[in-house]
Amino acid sequence: MALSEEQVKHVARLARLRLETGDIAQVTRDLGRVLDYMTQLNAVDTENVEPTMHVIGLAMPLREDRVKPSLTAEAALKNAPDPRDNMFGVPRIMDGGDS
Amino acid sequence: MRIYEMTAGDIASKVRRKDLSATECMEEIAERIGRVEPSVGAFLHLNLDEAMRQARAIDNLPSGERERLPLAGVPVAVKDNMATQSMPTTAASKILEGFVAPYDATVVSRLQHAGAVIVGKTNMDEFAMGSSTEHSAYQLTRNPWDRDRVPGGSSGGSAAAVAAQMVPVALGSDTGGSIRQPASYCGVTGFKPTYGRVSRYGLIAFASSLDQIGPLARNVDDASLIYEVIAGYDPLDASSLRVEKALPKATDVSWANVRIGVPKQYGSSGLDASVQARLAEVISRLESQGASVVEVSLPHTEYAIAAYYLVAPAEASSNLSRFDGVRYGYRASGADLLEMYENTRAQGFGEEVKRRILLGTHALSAGYYDAYYLKAQKIRTLIRQDFEQAFAAVDVILTPTTPDLAFRFGEKSQDPLQMYLSDVYTVTANLAGIPAISTPAGLAGGLPVGMQWLGPIMGEESLLHIARGFEKLWPSEGWPALGGEA
Amino acid sequence: MNSTYEVIIGLEVHVELKTQSKLFCSCSTEFGAEPNTHTCPVCLGMPGVLPVLNEAAVACAVKAALALNCTVHPFSKFDRKQYFYPDLPKAYQISQYDEPLAEHGSVPIVIDGAVAKTVAVRRIHMEEDAGKLNHLGQRLGDAKGSLVDLNRAGVPLVEIVSEPDMRSADEARLYLTELRNVLSYLDISDLRMEEGSMRCDANVSLRPLDYHGSLEDLPRVEIKNVNSIRNVYRGIEYEIARQAEKMGRGERIVKETRGFDDQNGRTYSQRSKEEANDYRYFPEPDLPPLVLTASYIEEAAQSLPPSPMAIRQELAEAGVTANDAEVIVADRAALEYWRSATAVFADKRQVTNWMLSDVSRLLNAYGDTFWTARVGPQALADLLALIERGTLSGRMAKEVLDRMYETGGRAEDIVQSMGVSQITDKAAIQAVVQQVVAGNPHVVQDYLSGKDKALGFLVGQVMKQTKGQAKPDMVNAILKDVMADYAKA
Repeated sequence: MALSEEQVKHVARLARLRLETGDIAQVTRDLGRVLDYMTQLNAVDTENVEPTMHVIGLAMPLREDRVKPSLTAEAALKNAPDPRDNMFGVPRIMDGGDS
Repeated sequence: MRIYEMTAGDIASKVRRKDLSATECMEEIAERIGRVEPSVGAFLHLNLDEAMRQARAIDNLPSGERERLPLAGVPVAVKDNMATQSMPTTAASKILEGFVAPYDATVVSRLQHAGAVIVGKTNMDEFAMGSSTEHSAYQLTRNPWDRDRVPGGSSGGSAAAVAAQMVPVALGSDTGGSIRQPASYCGVTGFKPTYGRVSRYGLIAFASSLDQIGPLARNVDDASLIYEVIAGYDPLDASSLRVEKALPKATDVSWANVRIGVPKQYGSSGLDASVQARLAEVISRLESQGASVVEVSLPHTEYAIAAYYLVAPAEASSNLSRFDGVRYGYRASGADLLEMYENTRAQGFGEEVKRRILLGTHALSAGYYDAYYLKAQKIRTLIRQDFEQAFAAVDVILTPTTPDLAFRFGEKSQDPLQMYLSDVYTVTANLAGIPAISTPAGLAGGLPVGMQWLGPIMGEESLLHIARGFEKLWPSEGWPALGGEA
Repeated sequence: MNSTYEVIIGLEVHVELKTQSKLFCSCSTEFGAEPNTHTCPVCLGMPGVLPVLNEAAVACAVKAALALNCTVHPFSKFDRKQYFYPDLPKAYQISQYDEPLAEHGSVPIVIDGAVAKTVAVRRIHMEEDAGKLNHLGQRLGDAKGSLVDLNRAGVPLVEIVSEPDMRSADEARLYLTELRNVLSYLDISDLRMEEGSMRCDANVSLRPLDYHGSLEDLPRVEIKNVNSIRNVYRGIEYEIARQAEKMGRGERIVKETRGFDDQNGRTYSQRSKEEANDYRYFPEPDLPPLVLTASYIEEAAQSLPPSPMAIRQELAEAGVTANDAEVIVADRAALEYWRSATAVFADKRQVTNWMLSDVSRLLNAYGDTFWTARVGPQALADLLALIERGTLSGRMAKEVLDRMYETGGRAEDIVQSMGVSQITDKAAIQAVVQQVVAGNPHVVQDYLSGKDKALGFLVGQVMKQTKGQAKPDMVNAILKDVMADYAKA
């Protein structure tokens, strides 16, 4: 299951990672090698095997519906790169951003 | 005995009895760190002023309160992927440079409530992805036994800090061996409890279904002591276990009653000759004590690395999406939102992290989910079943912790796949959720060798008991000479 | 024009649940707070934090599912839906993907009080809301950028997905109305579309009559986030016409997301869905499966209030017309009011008439609802009792009601202070009638000689002397009696 450069670009776009044009070939090779290694899994018959989504069979614990103090806006924004009017500033959003 | 040579248990009992003040202890620890740290580089952040303040606070407690503190005055180092309000938390990533969490991880507050003093945050592979701590965005950490070699990883800073006797104990996190492998390379004890034993709240997630926090220490008793404090149900972590934790009995191990399994699949390719020889010596010493050592079969182990390197990157790709330059951390410039996202993440993450994000994103993407992620999670079930069957016949499974010894800087970093393959002995415990501990088994050519002990789910009590028994069978050969002391 | 295609509509409705705290953390869900003051490390998506599910949100979602006739699954799970957007702090939304809380429900479409059609509900699942983006400048994409407020991030939602069973904008409107009716009795949400506590996305496609493939494969247009039921109706109407016109010209319909402009009533293209998102759903590793016991589900089912259909039945049995019943069913406050008033006043039709005409007129004028009505059910019943006893005429009662609403006073007190009480005392009326008869002998003679019109004049005289307060039918009867005696005399 080798990987094409187009696929790598698609995945990088999904992950919001800019890849420099010069790096794409190398990244494709690295990922391709790792994915080649993964093909050995095809040898295992997992037809009737349930996936392990949680290693221990817990049931969901539930939290009582009680309000506890929130952070102050100041504390919430303390680490923010672009705080404005107690909100998180972001650059303009052009079409093509997700949903 | 110097204070920095003392165990956590000794320090705590002396401080409780006022035979030693926490302040005095902290002063000597600070002095030791000042002397040794420049040649090791274990810490990303130190806050010794705050540590001194905490130590004084413990000394000033009414004796009745101080006497109840299991870790009274014990200096502890914490891996930099656990949130602390008193120091930055960066996970050794540029993308979190300067980030100070507005909350403490549950393990951090539990340590503090038990009287421990947090001295600093330790270096690691960025977001815990790596086996050498070379993937830190900030600095190298050197193996105290040989400063040209890596301390292992990803909890390399914690292992090095304990081995260099800067702290008696430290916290690490283990997603595929990140506590046990550096413990092995640095000649210390590293313990990964059952998944869910220790709250993950405040641990910067790498792979949520595999991550588990645990102690690194210079002996099993100290590891158990820390484990006792940090384990237990946390209402802030929905995956934490409500089951009572049981601690090892104080009694000696009667080896004649111990059935030890050695997986036949684990002796295969890539195993360093000195490690293989040490395993044979260990087995014969155990047998000489009357233990029954039998071969067990874990047939799906050969698929563990492939499964692990699908599950872990897939979850990581999701967990690391929140680092988007909006609410905290590094932000690169960009003409619009999309550019800002792509530049921030391209510049903020290191190469290995980006490699795994791409791999994991691919494994979850439309058309590949079933072949990669789902398939890997099914293999995981088979690996769990392998262990269940094996533990029907044996009490504990013994393997080397790593197939090799601490390697030189740069030796493996050029070949990601090669680096992944060296996790062969450790990843199965994370995939199956079982507890595992690495204990030192002497030196080979001046470098530590580690043995790994695996137990069944929630089998910590027996696992720690056996590990402590082994520690007596194979006593420590001492600690590396550092910092110009005699 | 419906000869060449059939309209296919499916609706996705998001409803914010009225819990105290958020879905996965303990921050308040209160609407309208200062930006980012209802946030914590969890809903800010800080590194290292973990979600813990709110039990009240589960209880609300289960109620909604049961009230919509769904099967609640004893085992459901949460998944991560992944995409980058500044209002989504973790860059994934915790939602439920392939094993939702509940499936296979239904909502009746009610016309004239009867079920005209049943729309199937495909599924109901729980998820967390996103934050709010404030776009600087004139619009999205302005160079000044946008500001993110995460107070709403993590507020619990249920998403209710219908099957594509609706065939007209009107059916969509009726589905939404009935869905809101059903949910309103559960008291699990404010259901305010204008505040965003209920939001609707409409999927509209046209099926050519000669197309027999899967409906899923038809090019579907999704109209996003419309802020009222009326606008959903308008948006769908516009969309049907737009698509029909394109089809008529032989053009292809593009699968896309469209917004609705309520100024001009048109939909506009937002984003082509063909560059589709890949949400990379996978099971949320931080949350074990949600396990609900049979007894938990059974208890929730037992505690459900009567359905709107049952309420319609109750109203019909009380003689309320289907039209009036719809008004009451759609307004839980009105129903509560109606029930309280009819509990203390037996003539239920009279209560209904007064509620829906004069009381409603006053509520509108004062900006009140039936919850906050300044003339409560007991006060209305007291007023109606005065009419029934004959103390007030209907016309007088309206005036009294106005004054009651204005002052908050009791009916009897206002009647007294206004001096408008109707004279029903036979002796008092008789006395006035005697006077009038004595003072108008010629008119009386006219009446007795067969001129019926003369009676009207005499009645008018009595009313004039009593300032209009004498009860007219009594005046009539007494006049006739007195004049009959007069004739004999």
